[in-house]
Amino acid sequence: MPYVIIILAVVLLIPVLIYNALIAKKNQVLNVFATIDVMLKKRYDLIPNLISTVKGYMQHERDLLTRITEMRAKALSDRTSDDDKVDLDGKVTKTLNNIMLAVENYPDLKASQNFLHLQRAMVEIEEQISAARRAYNASVTDYNNAVEMFPTNIIASMMNYKRRRFFEIPKEQRQNVDAGRAFNN
Amino acid sequence: MKTLDDLRDFYNNSLTADLNALEARRKSLLSKILCVGAAIAVLALIALLVATQNMGVFFPAVIFPIAIAAAIFGVIIHFSSKGYVREFKTRIIGQIITFIDANLRYDPHRCIPRSTFVASDIFKTKPNRYKGDDYVSGKVGATQVRFSELKAEYESGSGKNRSCRTVFKGLFFIADFNKHFTCKTIILPDTAEKLFGGFGKLFQSWNIARDELIKLEDPEFERYFVVYGNDQVQARYILSTSLMARIVDFRRKTNRQIYLSFIGSNVFVAVPYRKNLFEPKLFSTILNFDLVREYFEDLRLAIGIVDDLNLNTRIWTKQ
Repeated sequence: MPYVIIILAVVLLIPVLIYNALIAKKNQVLNVFATIDVMLKKRYDLIPNLISTVKGYMQHERDLLTRITEMRAKALSDRTSDDDKVDLDGKVTKTLNNIMLAVENYPDLKASQNFLHLQRAMVEIEEQISAARRAYNASVTDYNNAVEMFPTNIIASMMNYKRRRFFEIPKEQRQNVDAGRAFNN
Repeated sequence: MKTLDDLRDFYNNSLTADLNALEARRKSLLSKILCVGAAIAVLALIALLVATQNMGVFFPAVIFPIAIAAAIFGVIIHFSSKGYVREFKTRIIGQIITFIDANLRYDPHRCIPRSTFVASDIFKTKPNRYKGDDYVSGKVGATQVRFSELKAEYESGSGKNRSCRTVFKGLFFIADFNKHFTCKTIILPDTAEKLFGGFGKLFQSWNIARDELIKLEDPEFERYFVVYGNDQVQARYILSTSLMARIVDFRRKTNRQIYLSFIGSNVFVAVPYRKNLFEPKLFSTILNFDLVREYFEDLRLAIGIVDDLNLNTRIWTKQ
């Protein structure tokens, strides 16, 4: 008789453990996504500083600056969905890169203390965002494995858990930060 | 970083004079030691004869005089060579360090304190027997570094049950890391995964002595190391894809087990060694380029960590 109870307890316990593990994995994904959001906000906070630093110099790139201001406003608005935020992030990254490239044409700006400091902060936040993206993709891999692998997939389908998408890393960010290029000293 | 050709020039132009002076000292010390050794051997032989005459040829009567003589001889070598060792270290090792980087200071008697070793959290066992020497500190480029040789042991039990286990023996290196962070990240050699494959990963995630397991995306890096930390995102901020590749290269270059930890804006690196580092020879000549090369390469390995891990790249807000 006691054997039956033990076996029954184990049989009942396994689904509970799997259920809890799945929830933990899903929460891990959400948690890291929230971190990306925080990092992106940090970067958006830097944009007004960047604009005020460069606008005195950059006469020909006015439209770049206007565009990035608009994107920032849109990204920070509450009405923007998570998917749109991801899309916007890619565009912002591209525009910021263009601005940084344009700075090459203004040696005075490039040498100014204010800009150098800002550039450091930008490089840092870019790397933090990339770290957060990698952490997100790692937790999505973990989650997706659990959703697709036997036996966790049985419980996952009962809980209606679906595969999640990876955070695509923009092409221009797939290469490592190149210090020489960033500072071009 | 200085090359072997630079070292050869330095050896021929600057080091030879000092080495010659020390070689003379070594020879006179060695002849003294050998004389004392011969005297001890004669005394031991007499003791041996007397003991075997009185007690017959049985094990303790033979082994005791020899053991006591050997112990006395060991103590004499240790104490009589102290001055020579000190002079060798300050003159030769000190010069080699200045040759590699003039900003570094050398102190043959100090070592990385025990509290720092424990704070690195690389080794979970707290050593209760701890010693070290050959402390080097200073700035390499923009990066503050310090390292020393260490021997940390854990002794348990007493009397017959006494046992001593080596926690760590080798080079212990600390540098100021080039990024700000507040988390704790530990990188250890991967043994479980090598033995058990995918199941190893599962066992690693159950390691309750450590923080969360951090799975990284570089398969090469994952093959060599296992990473634990208390912040998934910051750990990846520290371990950028390029740093992972650099750590793998460093592991391959040294061909040793490497332990790293990132705590309080510092990076700690522990490289185990079997031999005693930076010790002079007593029973063979020191006028030997290969010997100097060995010291140089061990030192370059430590000082080179700054370049190997790219710590002088200060493009982030930490300057």
